[in-house]
Amino acid sequence: MGSGNRGGVLLSYQSEVRDSIKAGDSLATVVVPANNYRELTLDIVAKLLGSKLGGIYVTTSRPSTHVVKEMKARKASLNDLYFVDMISLTVGGETGDPRTVFIDSPTMLESVLLNIGLLERRIKAKRHFVMFDSVNGLSIYSEMRVLKEFMNVLANTMRLRRTYTMMLTVDEQTPPELEAVLVTLSDCMIRGGTGDG
Amino acid sequence: MAPATESLKPTAVKLDPRGGRPREKAKTYIEGMDRMLNGGIPIGNTSLLAGTVGSGKTTLAMEFLINGAKNGETACYISVTEPSSKMLENLRTYGFFDDSLVTEGKLNIFDLGIINDRLGVERLDGSYSPKDMEALLGAFEDIVDELQATRLVIDSITAVCYQLPDRGSIRNFIFRLGQFLSTFGCTTLLISETVVDAATQTYSIFGVEEAVADGVILMGNVQRQGDLLRTMQIVKMRGAKHSRARHLVELTPIGLSVVPLLKWGQETGAVYS
Repeated sequence: MGSGNRGGVLLSYQSEVRDSIKAGDSLATVVVPANNYRELTLDIVAKLLGSKLGGIYVTTSRPSTHVVKEMKARKASLNDLYFVDMISLTVGGETGDPRTVFIDSPTMLESVLLNIGLLERRIKAKRHFVMFDSVNGLSIYSEMRVLKEFMNVLANTMRLRRTYTMMLTVDEQTPPELEAVLVTLSDCMIRGGTGDG
Repeated sequence: MAPATESLKPTAVKLDPRGGRPREKAKTYIEGMDRMLNGGIPIGNTSLLAGTVGSGKTTLAMEFLINGAKNGETACYISVTEPSSKMLENLRTYGFFDDSLVTEGKLNIFDLGIINDRLGVERLDGSYSPKDMEALLGAFEDIVDELQATRLVIDSITAVCYQLPDRGSIRNFIFRLGQFLSTFGCTTLLISETVVDAATQTYSIFGVEEAVADGVILMGNVQRQGDLLRTMQIVKMRGAKHSRARHLVELTPIGLSVVPLLKWGQETGAVYS
């Protein structure tokens, strides 16, 4: 993807990216530089939970137990946050957390759609969000045409359900073909800068 | 006589190509499946539930029965291949199963031993004579009639067919079975075991069951990057306007759930069903 501004808002600072997230956009893509990626993701989720939204965190790039641990370190309330974990069963991580659905394999993309629907029934808050971390992570396991189809189905399913959806992707690891799909599907493109100021 | 221009007026186009009055349906209550069936399986239909080993046929059939029983119907499961005690033990591992359905008589499980007792025969040679076939049909009829069952599963019809002497007998058996079950308003799933064949798609071992049945629900597996995904497709369902798209089936804490399968997500050139 590179570092240029090819559509979307170019933002240089972590806080500006976080503040530009507004629940109400139906579907937003957040393009994050690799060096800021982890911090920024957690910042966004903490912000949404603090705004009285309940949500689902879909993780493809790190085990959900790691995310929980880091969220707890930030003293974020996790009462209304659930997880779809696509990686722990593949890497032999912990799979006992009752708030998490563990997917057999990251290739099983339909399972994500299905389990988002089931977990949404458990969310207590009136407004829901789905954080998809990350689109580039999925491209490791699935062919581009499958991934493009999945993004299309996911975006339209979430739009129908009126669930605020954020798709995170790491700038340096997102193929241009996938970026084009994300630009087409998103209501809002948020682009983080280098993070160096 | 009406003016000539009158006949040129376009008629209103109906959006539903079938039109007419829809049949009353037996809901499966399986997440996503009733949507595929446009409300459920038409009441009284006898359908083949076909698939290979491990494709989820028995789980789906049991959930169909259990969900009906939970909603006040009487359901009946006839196990031809394994003892009812073993079946019950397996059922207890599912979150959607409830023991009280059995104790209250809403879910009834029989095995071949019980049916043979009803037939009054100790069948060890594995072949039914025409007389035995009549007796077997009579036994099934008695079970449904006595229990006033509105849902029935025979697991598997393939095992029953192996006991019948020829294809003509199989056709006759399934046809007559379907006839009386329809009269009773009993919605039935006949589990049919199929084998993996890369060249052709089969719905049964003997090739005649699907022609007589009112519906064919095909369970299977597709491979994606070496992973196996369970799938379901409704090939035929008399009396229902249904989806023919292939769907993914997954066992979730609330039971089976069905979602459309991604079109590009299945390896082509081979049939894994």
